[in-house]
Amino acid sequence: MAGQQQALCDLRRLAAQIRLSATRMVAIQGFGYLGQALSSAEIFAVLFGAGFVRPGRDRFVLSPGHYVIGLYAVGAALGLLDAKELESYGKDGALLEAIGSERTPLVDLVCGSLGQGLSGAIGFTLAAHLAGEERDTYAFLSDGEMQEGQIWEAAMFASHNRRRMGRLVAVVDANNSQVDGPVTSVVALEPLAEKWRSFGWRVLEVDGHDVEALSPALATRCADEPLVVIARTEIFGRMRSIPASADGHFIKLDAAVERALIAELEAALA
Amino acid sequence: MRNPPYAIVLKPYGQALLELARQRPEIVCLGADLTRQTETDIFRDALPERFINAGMAEANMIGIAGGLARAGHVVFVNTFGVFCTRRCYDQVAMSIAYPNLNVKIVGFMPGLSSPGGPSHQAIDDVALMRALPNMTVVEPADAVEVRQAVTAIADRPGLAYMRLKRGETPVIFDDDHRLDLDKAQILTGGERADVCLIAAGMMIPAALAAACVLENNGVSLTVVNVPVIKPLDAATILAAARQTRLVVTAENHTIIGGLGSAVAEALAGASVAAPLRRIGIADVFAESGSREFLFNGYGLSTQNILEVAWRGLGREGPAPVAPVVESTPGAYAPV
Repeated sequence: MAGQQQALCDLRRLAAQIRLSATRMVAIQGFGYLGQALSSAEIFAVLFGAGFVRPGRDRFVLSPGHYVIGLYAVGAALGLLDAKELESYGKDGALLEAIGSERTPLVDLVCGSLGQGLSGAIGFTLAAHLAGEERDTYAFLSDGEMQEGQIWEAAMFASHNRRRMGRLVAVVDANNSQVDGPVTSVVALEPLAEKWRSFGWRVLEVDGHDVEALSPALATRCADEPLVVIARTEIFGRMRSIPASADGHFIKLDAAVERALIAELEAALA
Repeated sequence: MRNPPYAIVLKPYGQALLELARQRPEIVCLGADLTRQTETDIFRDALPERFINAGMAEANMIGIAGGLARAGHVVFVNTFGVFCTRRCYDQVAMSIAYPNLNVKIVGFMPGLSSPGGPSHQAIDDVALMRALPNMTVVEPADAVEVRQAVTAIADRPGLAYMRLKRGETPVIFDDDHRLDLDKAQILTGGERADVCLIAAGMMIPAALAAACVLENNGVSLTVVNVPVIKPLDAATILAAARQTRLVVTAENHTIIGGLGSAVAEALAGASVAAPLRRIGIADVFAESGSREFLFNGYGLSTQNILEVAWRGLGREGPAPVAPVVESTPGAYAPV
């Protein structure tokens, strides 16, 4: 029991470390995709820190490519990536580009053009099934990109081919944020869980900032059913230092907010 | 080469793909609710585990193809040319072209070969696919080339788009004809000719018929078959163009961005100043109708080639008239 509590504590610290690294990366230019890392920190922490994505075996698809900042941060924290690389995030010629590309490390597929990742993840899952390989495929999705019809083409295909999709897990960072504002104000997706359920998926909806809820949700796979975990999050990850008026999609991080946020996160890690 | 009317065969692509797939377990076949129409019903029936029907969802199909290819498969994606180019262009660009994956897109019903009107006539597919980095664009002229092209594009790592006539496919070439993805072919004529006629795909029968008539009227021709529009075999084309008075291109495609444009780019880039005339669909959407009606009406006929060459050379008087080759059941004649 104590071990379990320690593991949860470690995951929370990992999430805080992801947020701190992401803040420092965005501070290099003073603007960037910080909201995405703040909202998805626990998701990345659990996927990579709790043994779900097994590097070299399982496949990881990052559909919204601008979330790659969160992947860099968790990769560096877990020693999968040289932490020195974080210092050149988004700079000219850097390995770690602000939007994922074919050069991006730690990922089997990353899409800059949104809504395409789930289809690729289905391709990976079909290939593993054809080869009889015990590889899982994790597809990280965001809620905004579900306005693209391709997501629903893919969802429909996966449930129709459900007997081959037992090793497919989709995780949605449902942070209600897109470029023009809250998803609910642009073109609403709700009821999201019911949509996925009606498309034939096994659906779990959890508090995406609660590592204790995310882990068991991701573990509830079923042999003949694709699983989607809808992780309800807040765009700034409940960070008190960020004013509510800040741009969730592409923040302009002024020096005062940056200092306050770093102090808040360092306190959480102390 | 054989003479028109040409014998026809059915499903040369579907048969070639199945034969190759039996030898190569890494080949998988994807479709979008057009299985019989893309000749892949025989693949589906013989190798059902490796046949995947995506339904009417081309964007998702291209994405799935990308995932399968990243995992090591050679993926053949089959649908009509309009649907696998226009309808999912961003997916083709980002999910398979940018990573240069082993995906072979096969688009049926090129140009005005479909009676179905603008929604089904792929008049701009070559332009769209040619614009994408990493893409090879293939347009076989007959069943002999179709069979060889299947193996050739499977053998070459990376991406390819192949546009294929649907249904009855003519047999123009002899069995010893060889398709090479790096080579255009001089089909007739010597090194020095009045006209260098460069054609591809369904325009080859008309080009050969036009050449025959023109030769009989004192005009010498070099006919060049270009089964691979990208990468273009510029060396062969430039060598022929340097020794001619007039270059004519003929394509079953809009004149913008296809074979004619590719040849124009090659000529201009090498400062070859031969006069150029491009035969193709004149920047318009067409209409529904038979192959004969459409090829005559939109300037893709043998007679049209004759007239363009005749006028382009500055010959006086009316152009010679192309003989009508009767299209009998079970045979294929150029329009």
